[in-house]
Amino acid sequence: MTAFPAALLPLPVAIPLVICAAMLATAHFLPGRLPDILATLAALSVAVLCGAIAVHAADGPLVYWFGGWEPRDGVHLGIGFSVDEASGWVAAFIGLLYALTFVFAWGFFDRTHGHFHILMLLFLAAMVGFCFTRDMFNLFVWFEVMSVAAFALTAYHLAESSLAGAINFTVVNSLAGFLMLGGIGLIYAQTGTLDFEGIAAAVAQGGRDPVVAGAFCLVASALMIKGAIVPFQFWLADAHAVAPSPVSVIFSGAMVSLGLFGLAKVSAVVFGGSDQVRHALPALLIGLGSFTALLGGWMALLQRHLKRMLAFSTISHAGIMLTGLGALSVNGTGGMLVYVVGHGLVKGALFMIAGILLATQASIDEIALRGLGRGIWPAGIAMGLAGLLLCGLPLGVLDQGTRLVQGALAQQGHGIALAAGAIGAALTGAAVLRAAGRIFLGLGPDPGDEAGAPSEDEREKANRPLWLMLAPCCVLLALDVGVPAGLIEHALPRAASAFLHRPAVETLAEGPGWLPWISVVAALAGAGYGLFRRRLPALVVRPVSATQSAPTRALEVLHSGLIGDYVAWLGVGVAVVAGVLALA
Amino acid sequence: MSVLPYAVAAWLFGIGLYGIATSRNFIHLVGCLGVCQSATYVLLLGLGYRWGSIAPIFYDHPPGTPAVDPVMQALVLTDIVVGATLTALLLVLTIQAYKRGGSLDPEKLRPMRAVGQSGRDRGSNRVGDGERKAS
Repeated sequence: MTAFPAALLPLPVAIPLVICAAMLATAHFLPGRLPDILATLAALSVAVLCGAIAVHAADGPLVYWFGGWEPRDGVHLGIGFSVDEASGWVAAFIGLLYALTFVFAWGFFDRTHGHFHILMLLFLAAMVGFCFTRDMFNLFVWFEVMSVAAFALTAYHLAESSLAGAINFTVVNSLAGFLMLGGIGLIYAQTGTLDFEGIAAAVAQGGRDPVVAGAFCLVASALMIKGAIVPFQFWLADAHAVAPSPVSVIFSGAMVSLGLFGLAKVSAVVFGGSDQVRHALPALLIGLGSFTALLGGWMALLQRHLKRMLAFSTISHAGIMLTGLGALSVNGTGGMLVYVVGHGLVKGALFMIAGILLATQASIDEIALRGLGRGIWPAGIAMGLAGLLLCGLPLGVLDQGTRLVQGALAQQGHGIALAAGAIGAALTGAAVLRAAGRIFLGLGPDPGDEAGAPSEDEREKANRPLWLMLAPCCVLLALDVGVPAGLIEHALPRAASAFLHRPAVETLAEGPGWLPWISVVAALAGAGYGLFRRRLPALVVRPVSATQSAPTRALEVLHSGLIGDYVAWLGVGVAVVAGVLALA
Repeated sequence: MSVLPYAVAAWLFGIGLYGIATSRNFIHLVGCLGVCQSATYVLLLGLGYRWGSIAPIFYDHPPGTPAVDPVMQALVLTDIVVGATLTALLLVLTIQAYKRGGSLDPEKLRPMRAVGQSGRDRGSNRVGDGERKAS
């Protein structure tokens, strides 16, 4: 294998930045479809470059120091990119997701002088930088660039609800940025460096240190806010529900899981040497993750606003990813990395279907859409398949990730987390399948007058042909189903060990084969219950609906849409993380 | 090293959070967010400060003179840029929200209305194409 020039490492970040700057400068002269074409090509080139980098990083991480400021005598002054195989593939996946989203959004935003594409390319560059960097402060910068692009994209429609959602999103995520910066300041004061390796070495030498634990508490809280872990999850449902659907694809498919990806990197690579952090992590991550998986799934089942439903299902799956991370093993983290990709593919496809419904049927409300999807049945097939994949149909990348996460949890005897993950996946699958059955098959009772949606009327442009919107969605699903399992099985043990900086393992354990089937059956049963409740005998329905009402109301009240409540919960969450770390 | 900067930073962050949690006006809320951010300035400058040393500019000092940590000051500078961006963006959002909702009260401006109360009677859905612009 020829040596890959490490000087190419900044290119996947530089290409989108340069194109977005050029587009901004010439925005008013660019003819109609040129921004679409340029943006798609830029995203594709990022995907291809990151893939090439990942292939060459198989033998060991590629390192690039900006300006040639290599570390001398153990002193890290420069800022570097360091790409291991797993980070490279995650970045390649993100590039591909962007390319398909640009195709999906073809002509979506008229008369905007390409501002949508400019913001999206900035967003893409920040995500790739976030994956590649090996410097704490650089990580923060990409985190903030990502946030600012996301804030602006959420409010893109400038409608009342999207503005309110964007404000909540902005305030909560800005606080995350402040927490992270505080944590970075603390760790720098303690270790005298910002480089991942430098900090790791200093942390491993020092013993139990409250400053290191405090720094980790702040950084981890910030990344968990990005990753929408309970009790930091409130912003997500608001932001994803009101953002334009192409933006929601990126939010759910890449941004949220990238928060957890960052947490994985920081906790394993940077703070992995601290015993205190290592002891606190399993209880913290698995506890919060299980709770998140259940709460997200339950809330998803209660929604009738399709995008909000998908947003809660993202919360649930973020919880499952966190449990995989909490196993603190190569197996669990490897599973989580595969899960990130698989979940991004499936959830991206689902948000595209929501966008298709919004564009062609001018509604996003499950009840109001009942039976209206018959004319666009191919989208229905895609939605059914995506729902089944979401709840764990043993097929494709998402399922492989699920089984690896379950294998890691089963190995360590975390029965509750295992059950919580399976139930959470089943609940989200049930919600999606119920919606698919109602919209595309016209199942369920006729709503009559209660068809009013809880949100204001939304509309997205209906000027695109169905096939153009459906094609990227089908490509995503085909990728999830079609990527050969053997390929991942072969590369993952090596890639995950390199990601965690641990000695390589031979094989990874998988969870029990019957568990995904239980999720699928439970999801089908849940969807059936939601659709045919009125036809079931009263004996079955009464106890279920009685247990449903009180906690349901409480949960709805908690997700109030009030920024004040969210910030109070944020304080509680940081206190919980700090408490668990203090007790460890 | 004195405890004072850390205490001030913690207090600023806490009082800012309290302000955001209880705010009934978005402009006030943006101000409170600024208070939270000042906590990070104080923390970072406190961490980088060394008693009896000069600013890290060696124009009229011989190299090797004890100076405060320039890295922290670079972090604070970046933080200030981030803060300016966020404040500007939030204020733009607030103005747009006021134009459309006619209120600055977070209680009256929620992304999703509670289930049961139909939102169709409230406010027109003006997505004015002419006014539409990015960021």
